[in-house]
Amino acid sequence: MNEQTNITIHTPWPTRLGYALRPLLWIGPALALIVVVVLWPVVVLIHASFQNIAADGFVVGGAGFSNFKDLWHEPALKGVVFRTVIWVVLAVSLTLLISLALAQLFNQHFPFRRAARTALIAPWAASVMMTALIFRWALDPYSGAINIVLHALGIVHRMGSVQADWLGRPGWAIFWMLIVAIFVSLPFTTYALLSGLQTIPDEVYEAARVDGSSPWRTYWSITLPLLKPAILVATTINVINVFNSFPIIWEMTRGGPGYETSTTTTFMFILKQAFIGESAAMSVVNFMLVIVVVLLFLKTTRWKEQVND
Amino acid sequence: MRKRQLAVRLAAVTAASAIVAAAATVVPTAGAAVKATAASGSTTLKLVVADYGTGPSNTSAKYWKGIADAFHKQYPSITVKITDIPWTNFDSEVQTMIQNHNYPDITEGDYFQDYAQQGLLYTAKQVLSDPKSLLPVFAKQGTYNGKQYGMPWTTSSRTLFYNKKLFKKAGIKTAPGTWAELQADAAKITKLGDVGFGLPLGTEEAQAESLLWFLGDGGNFTNSAGKWTINSAANVTAFTFLKNLVAAGDTEPNPGTQDRTPLWEQFAAGKVGMINGSPALIPIIQGAKVLSSSEWGSVPIAGKNGPLADTLGVCDNVAAFKSNGHEAQIKEFLNFAYQNKYQLQFDREYDLLPATVSAAAALKSDPTFGSFIDALPKAVQYPSSTSWAQVKTDIQNTIGTAVTGDPASVLGQLQSQAVQLGS
Repeated sequence: MNEQTNITIHTPWPTRLGYALRPLLWIGPALALIVVVVLWPVVVLIHASFQNIAADGFVVGGAGFSNFKDLWHEPALKGVVFRTVIWVVLAVSLTLLISLALAQLFNQHFPFRRAARTALIAPWAASVMMTALIFRWALDPYSGAINIVLHALGIVHRMGSVQADWLGRPGWAIFWMLIVAIFVSLPFTTYALLSGLQTIPDEVYEAARVDGSSPWRTYWSITLPLLKPAILVATTINVINVFNSFPIIWEMTRGGPGYETSTTTTFMFILKQAFIGESAAMSVVNFMLVIVVVLLFLKTTRWKEQVND
Repeated sequence: MRKRQLAVRLAAVTAASAIVAAAATVVPTAGAAVKATAASGSTTLKLVVADYGTGPSNTSAKYWKGIADAFHKQYPSITVKITDIPWTNFDSEVQTMIQNHNYPDITEGDYFQDYAQQGLLYTAKQVLSDPKSLLPVFAKQGTYNGKQYGMPWTTSSRTLFYNKKLFKKAGIKTAPGTWAELQADAAKITKLGDVGFGLPLGTEEAQAESLLWFLGDGGNFTNSAGKWTINSAANVTAFTFLKNLVAAGDTEPNPGTQDRTPLWEQFAAGKVGMINGSPALIPIIQGAKVLSSSEWGSVPIAGKNGPLADTLGVCDNVAAFKSNGHEAQIKEFLNFAYQNKYQLQFDREYDLLPATVSAAAALKSDPTFGSFIDALPKAVQYPSSTSWAQVKTDIQNTIGTAVTGDPASVLGQLQSQAVQLGS
């Protein structure tokens, strides 16, 4: 603090300004990128949500809040929002649970561990759209691979039946889409937790052992608390990803029948076909939702303390 | 100033070559198009067409290239650059072009009344020497404020296709004419383990399938005064019948999620007993090589009490955009492309019907097309109001849920949304 005051007293102001601006040289490009690529689209988006836009993209005039009002009166909205909440909560929590176990496994020494760890990357490396498409084909009611297996096992009674058409029934469609969502989220989450596990010093475990703590107790009182920062990062990023996960739903069901497998993200896209202003309003709501959810989450988990520790 | 012009031109050329590199379906003349932008006095027309082909061997790009090349020979100063887009993406990709103000000169495919409303289009009179040469019954759909903007390019009408092989196997002698017969026949075919009736109520073309059923009970999307009647008693009756048909298991599973194209392909594969189709289904059947021409038939669509007298007729339209200022060149090209020769070539290639009076007359005695041609003058068409594009989207997205949910409330919902959008 003292040093800085010295500088301000002894140097003439143009130089002081130079000092103040110097960091800009380094952070400037990154800042410009954020402004152009992140902030500007947000401004345009919010602007669009207050415009009356014809189906072919022409701005007819200002719309005030009518886009938001239309959205509010959209009969499908309630179900879509409810489904989005279920979708995010289930996908993220199940991913996290499975990843905790997987991370523990991959933290052990076993033969071919490196190969196993590399294999885990596969679902991450493949395009989400491709993965979703592969699952859709595998679930084809007449000739899908999954259905053939289920048929052989006696679970699916007849190929080509309503029962075999998993993706045509909203409840089951969401079930299968959740499996895909979890499948593609596992690698990142597992790796995040694995790196967290590796930062826990061996001495802590040794101390626990000396104190005679049971493995379960050790996991509960040592591993999990020390893993909290990694869990926080993984959860936050997964919440954002799953909330925005468009390709899975779009490729597997297009949000149908009706809007019965749509989340707010696909609903926004469907609206865009003919109701652009309302679609922009839905986007604004989505954007706000993500921010609010993430902020709430970080606040309740006292993110700052975790990071500063 | 000069420098700046050069820079702009360079940018244009770079952009053009980038487009050439990016688009998968660009005609070989596209390379010449890049040069043409730089040379003075020559024009490049951007022609955006929907793809009617069933595979790489007969894409619409190929068909149009034939016209474009012949045209270029006769008019060396005009080059036509073709972009063809699969049907499922056609609406959205054209809309995106317009939204981004990257205007085509000519489109052929779906037509949007709002483009005329926005003042984006030339009238038929401006870009065709003789607009009267087009079939008059389809003129209304492209007309806005008394002027015709959408010019029919190709037409088709709907019939009920049925698989004679499956009918024989199920012991059915004749194709159904009424709903009750249709349901009985569908049930018999379902018992064989195949799909009785293919009912595509998914987003691709739910509005067409719905209208065919509405017509069966004397219903429609609008009444004669143009007011929305989506939840009329007749329409609700039609969907109540469909709901029962679905519940009985006489259709494919979950029709609300099934699109037209895959179901047509299943019909062509011999696994569907009956399906409503247009002549465009014929090449799919031929391509699948499962059903020989004597193993399937096509009859008027079944109605509640008897076959439909007036069936759904649709036309795909040509629209000419003002934005690039190529009025004269577009006129040269359209006059050239609307020749009988090319109309008939199109119909033979894609099993569709012509849109000009003279080409229709030429096909009147054709064994395949003759009966379809006779039905054309009585064709029922979609509403021509400007809000139809939006109403259609709502219908495509939700009408399929009427066969699992409550028909009256789903149609009622669509009706109130349509009323709100205006007529």
